[in-house]
Amino acid sequence: MVLERFFSTSKKEQEVILNIKKHIKTLITASQVFKNGFEKENQDIMLNISELEREADSIRRGLISRIYEGAFLPYLRPNIFRFVEIIDEAFDVLKDAASEYKYIKIKSEELKSDCAEIININCQICEMLLQAVDSMFFGEDLREKSLAIRIYEKKIDEIKLEITEKLQNIDVESFWEGKMLSDFISHLSKVSDIIEDASDYLNIIKISLK
Amino acid sequence: MKVEEIMVRKIEFIDSTASLFDAIEKMIDKRLRSLVVTPKEESDVYGVITVRDIVFKAIKQNLDLNKTKVYEVANKPVVCVNRVMDIKHAINLMDKFNIARVFVCDNMQIIGIVSLMDILNAFLIMRARGDYGA
Repeated sequence: MVLERFFSTSKKEQEVILNIKKHIKTLITASQVFKNGFEKENQDIMLNISELEREADSIRRGLISRIYEGAFLPYLRPNIFRFVEIIDEAFDVLKDAASEYKYIKIKSEELKSDCAEIININCQICEMLLQAVDSMFFGEDLREKSLAIRIYEKKIDEIKLEITEKLQNIDVESFWEGKMLSDFISHLSKVSDIIEDASDYLNIIKISLK
Repeated sequence: MKVEEIMVRKIEFIDSTASLFDAIEKMIDKRLRSLVVTPKEESDVYGVITVRDIVFKAIKQNLDLNKTKVYEVANKPVVCVNRVMDIKHAINLMDKFNIARVFVCDNMQIIGIVSLMDILNAFLIMRARGDYGA
């Protein structure tokens, strides 16, 4: 298989692959920490997201240096670089949502339950992305994993639409309370969009190797 | 996998005496293909009205959508399953009764819906995860 040959020969490439997986595993951890913090309504737990984001930044910087030190053929590097950058965007929105959490009060149980569902799917979609990356490096077909990611994303889209309708009937005490709540939900639902983009990029990388 | 793991909790109800046009409006606004019809009285049971019922039983028959009541085209009773039932049993029921959805009931209350599309999505996710026989 082209991919197996491609990814298994060079030490630098192996290192990059390991770090890409480490980067995504850190994202999975961050999404699980977020879920835990939200379920326990604990802002201290949410603070750990920033730590994880910093850790991810460091992994990303190392990754990018390694890529431009000569891992992979030059024409592949921009796509791999972009893939890593997209994952980084997921950390950013998760961190933003975690920061907003301390300013918001979700009074409606129904809304809380919708947010919990999005958060739960976010964990699953991140796990699926890791499986997709594994599949690619093993030279397997990505179609099933990509489809699963699209299903998760669609589910979140539907929940977001429902939330948008519900938000219109929610009383807020100030402009900032409303803005923070709206931003929080927007960031929550953005994670799956980003993971879907990342999955599309994986497909581009795979196609470019053919 | 259990029914409760994939059931959709978003359920929209409609009064049995509402007009078909009311039902259509609600389905379009809420992007749904079915509505649960509430019981008329205590001794009554839940029913369901689907897009299929409206097209085949009302539009095809040239019924007046404003004058025809939901109970005239709705199906009763709904097929209920337990939340801890295995998905495979739910699939068997849907196949046996040739229906596109089953309702998840708890203490005589409908708490969720499982449609063919929900089952397909769950199956695809399980396959992608490697949890299911490929």
